[in-house]
Amino acid sequence: MFRTTGRALLGAALSSALLAVGLAGTASAKTAEVKVEINDDGCPAKITLKAGPHHFKVTNSGSGDVSEFEILSGDRILGEVENVAPGLNKEFSLTLKAGNYTTYCPGGSRDKGKLVVKGTASTKLSSEGQAAVDQYRQYLEAQTAELVTATKAFTDAVDAGNLDQAKELYAPSRIAYERIEPVAEVFGDLDPKIDAREGDVPKKEWGGYHYIEQKLWVDGTTEGLSDYSKDLNENVATLQNLVKDVELQPASIANGAVELLNEVSKSKITGEEERYSRTDLVDFEANVQGAEAAYNAVKPILQQKSPQLVTELDAKFAAVYAGLQPYETGDTTYVAYTDLTKADTKALSQAIDSLAEPLSKVSKQIVGS
Amino acid sequence: MSRRAFLGTAGAGALATTVALGTDALVHPPAAGAAVSRRLDVAVPFEGAHQAGIVTPVQDRLLFASFDVITDDRDDLVQVLDDWTRASRRMVKGEMIGTDNDNQDAPPDDTGEAVGLGPEALTLTFGFGASLFDRAGDPFRIASRKPAALAPMPVFARDEIRPEISEGDLAIQACADDPTVAFHAIRDLARIGRGVVALRWSQQGFGRTSVTDDKQVTPRNLMGFKDGTNNIVVEDAGALDDHVWVGPKDDPAWMTNGSYLVTRRIRMMLEIWDRSTLGDQELTIGRNKQEGAPLGGAKEHDTVNLTAKHDGEPVIPVDAHIRLAAPSENKGVRMLRRGFSFTDGIDPVTNQLDAGLFFIAYQRDPSTGFIPVQQHLATDALNEYIRHDSTGTFACPPGVGASGFVGETLFH
Repeated sequence: MFRTTGRALLGAALSSALLAVGLAGTASAKTAEVKVEINDDGCPAKITLKAGPHHFKVTNSGSGDVSEFEILSGDRILGEVENVAPGLNKEFSLTLKAGNYTTYCPGGSRDKGKLVVKGTASTKLSSEGQAAVDQYRQYLEAQTAELVTATKAFTDAVDAGNLDQAKELYAPSRIAYERIEPVAEVFGDLDPKIDAREGDVPKKEWGGYHYIEQKLWVDGTTEGLSDYSKDLNENVATLQNLVKDVELQPASIANGAVELLNEVSKSKITGEEERYSRTDLVDFEANVQGAEAAYNAVKPILQQKSPQLVTELDAKFAAVYAGLQPYETGDTTYVAYTDLTKADTKALSQAIDSLAEPLSKVSKQIVGS
Repeated sequence: MSRRAFLGTAGAGALATTVALGTDALVHPPAAGAAVSRRLDVAVPFEGAHQAGIVTPVQDRLLFASFDVITDDRDDLVQVLDDWTRASRRMVKGEMIGTDNDNQDAPPDDTGEAVGLGPEALTLTFGFGASLFDRAGDPFRIASRKPAALAPMPVFARDEIRPEISEGDLAIQACADDPTVAFHAIRDLARIGRGVVALRWSQQGFGRTSVTDDKQVTPRNLMGFKDGTNNIVVEDAGALDDHVWVGPKDDPAWMTNGSYLVTRRIRMMLEIWDRSTLGDQELTIGRNKQEGAPLGGAKEHDTVNLTAKHDGEPVIPVDAHIRLAAPSENKGVRMLRRGFSFTDGIDPVTNQLDAGLFFIAYQRDPSTGFIPVQQHLATDALNEYIRHDSTGTFACPPGVGASGFVGETLFH
């Protein structure tokens, strides 16, 4: 379960203000050229633009008393050119969201101007961008299908009162979920219903995987869980339906990969996620696999923009898997979290940080694709 | 862009308070009152024959960081040193690092917490630890260039060294007059190096406990005593060449104009110290507490008279700290100290203050500097009140010019 409200992986379909912020500027649109003329009076009085990426070409038709053009949001400079000599032009690029900005040209009588940005950026994808989105959507659909099946098998064992089998099927049933967790977080209260840990939600609302986990491991029973089994199956089925229509962007897919690694850093390395079953490393691997699948979807785009970043990321993903390998006990099973030493968790944490830092540089490379 | 200009304020007014010291300033500080007083928000040049942060007038705050190198790739390591140098050149000027700081679709290159703050006399001083040279297989191809001065630190009487907060492959000393500026520097350098280096341990410090400039007032350590009265000051160029800088005839050549850094985390048993009488405290240190004068003297800078007797007993006791640490008792050995007080909260076992002195000393060679002096301090009365629990020895290479990177003399 996500403990913080990070930028969401996707969710244009949602009205949440937070998500709208997260997605703004990630839309694909052609960069528009904006010609700006400054003179001895200062800035143009008002400029009106459409939201999206812009390339500003600033020329100076004055004598040189005014030679600077800045775009500010409140007190913050978003972009600027200095020393624009008469007759010369200088350029800079900036992606602007809808809103009111100020332009500033110090030295003139009209040193401040208005910049109004309207509308939302176009969301039309390039063919490569569409290919990335299609590939990742296929992954989402495959994983949610697997989630529904594995969850059913797990809850069947719980409902049948077979404690040992239920414990055995618990961790595997969660793998698909951990691979696509940032997607589930987009859908409001669905993630807490499925994946809340004790204390994340009010006690009487607590259900889902970790409630059942606590009953199985701490209380050693399958009694009284049939309503929880039923809710869990319904919730994962709802998730399966929702992902079919969710809107995706290449840059937000890349950000989702980073979020999955942040999940590893926050709750798997620390052993917070599976506090009763101690199967944290199973989740750890699933988070990394999910991040890799998201990365693979955008990799062809990134390959064109920054092949050296692709080389680096491929090596860092391999290093994380190599770091996990000594703890494997089977195809999808690992030693208990409590078997790890401090040195073990430190090394794993360093490997994740080493991967996540360059991974966080992917989205700016592919934004607008 | 300067961090102040990034705020989008008119800028000029705020920037006017920033005074850049000329390159000469390290060797020949401006006249008293011109630039060395606190809170002028000066920029200390990064470039020079020696690294900044050694004879630079001691700033108010420290963040010291030790790193493990987590790769065996020599090129990656050199790249990080190059990237660190580039970022450092900007940060000491109070500029933001990187190019992407207003892109909505990317994490900003600069983490931003120092926006609005000036240079604050930030210095960044880099050093290499013995383990970097000793690494199995010599992947960095520097084993043959290891200075003899990086020999393992001996175990001294009463040492309780914790390996996990000691030594390291690389070290960075960040000093500034503002704690956020120092933290920002280490945080962003650690981020730049992520995947190649990982933080091993770090130490914050406050309240400089030494002067390295004869116009600075001698500060007090947490025991309440003036500390570092007889330190080497920047005005004493002869002492710097004799005791601090590695000379052109010293081995190895790549360390010429560099210096060896020794760090010691010295926990003070403050609860016990505070229960000692003033008389005991003064006899332990060998100085008067209020004025800082050596026992038998009247003023702080009076000569320490080690031969004076009263009723047949030495005025400065045989086990007093200033006697045992005095250059005349240590074959004339001197070091440049620029330590800081620290507090890391409460000792969870004893519920006592976890505080003391983070000792920092620069010298031409620890085997003729810190090590014999520390051995000589084995009978120091002060030992009853202190405990050394971290140690570090680092070879700090010479400074860089307008191009190049810190450590280039080692790797090229």
